[in-house]
Amino acid sequence: MRIIIGLMVLSILVFLPTIQLVFGAEEAAEYIDRRVEIWNLFFRMMTVAFVVGSVVSGTLIWLIWRFRESHPKATPTKYEGTGELDN
Amino acid sequence: MSGHSNWPEWIYIGVVIALLVWVGSEAWNIERLVEHVPEEAKVIKVTGQQWFWTFEHEDGTKETGELHVKKGVPYKFEISSKDVIHSFNIPDYLVLMDAVPGRITTVWFLPVDEGEFPIQCREYCGLIHYNMRGTLYVEDKS
Repeated sequence: MRIIIGLMVLSILVFLPTIQLVFGAEEAAEYIDRRVEIWNLFFRMMTVAFVVGSVVSGTLIWLIWRFRESHPKATPTKYEGTGELDN
Repeated sequence: MSGHSNWPEWIYIGVVIALLVWVGSEAWNIERLVEHVPEEAKVIKVTGQQWFWTFEHEDGTKETGELHVKKGVPYKFEISSKDVIHSFNIPDYLVLMDAVPGRITTVWFLPVDEGEFPIQCREYCGLIHYNMRGTLYVEDKS
C-alpha cells in the first residue's frame, strides 16, 4: 500500500511535470492540419487499446487453460484433502 | 506470506501506470497543438440561430448559409448563438464546436483543399435542425 501511494505521489510530483516540461519545450508548430493530428491520435489510441485488450484477454485465456484441474501439469494445493476448505 | 512472490503484480501495476501516463500525455499534447491558434489567423464571427448560420468576416462582409474562405489561410471562428445551443460542424475539416447563447467559443482551422464542403449543426436544436446546413467554399488565394 505504501509503495502504491509512494508511486502515485512520485508520478504526480515528478513524472507528470517532467513530461509536461518535455512537451512544453517544443513549440507548437503553426499551420498544423488538425485532421492529420486528430486522426493520428485516434489510430495510436486504437492501437494501444487493441494491444492492451489482446494481452489482457490472452493472459486470462492462458491462465484458465493452464490452471484447470484437468491440466496434465496440475498439482494439488497443500490444502486439498485436508478438510480445511470444506466448511 | 513468506515465500510468496508478488513481482508480477508490481510489473503489472507499473505497466498500467506507464500506459495511462503515456496515453494521457499524448492526448494532452495533441489537444495543445490543435488548440494553438496562429497569430495571423483571420477571425470569422459565426452565429447560429434557428435554423441557419451567419458569418461575419473581419472586413464586415456578411454571409448566410455560405462561407467563402481562401485556401492556405488560417481562420479562427468565434462562435455564438442567438437562441438555443447549436454546434458548428465542418465534418471534412474535423471542426466541431458548440454555439452557446451568451458565450463565445472558438476553434480554428486551415483550409488546404479547394472545393465545397458541408457545414451542419451537430446539436439537436429544434424542428428544422436536420436542415440547418451551410456550405464552405474553399477558393484559391488568387
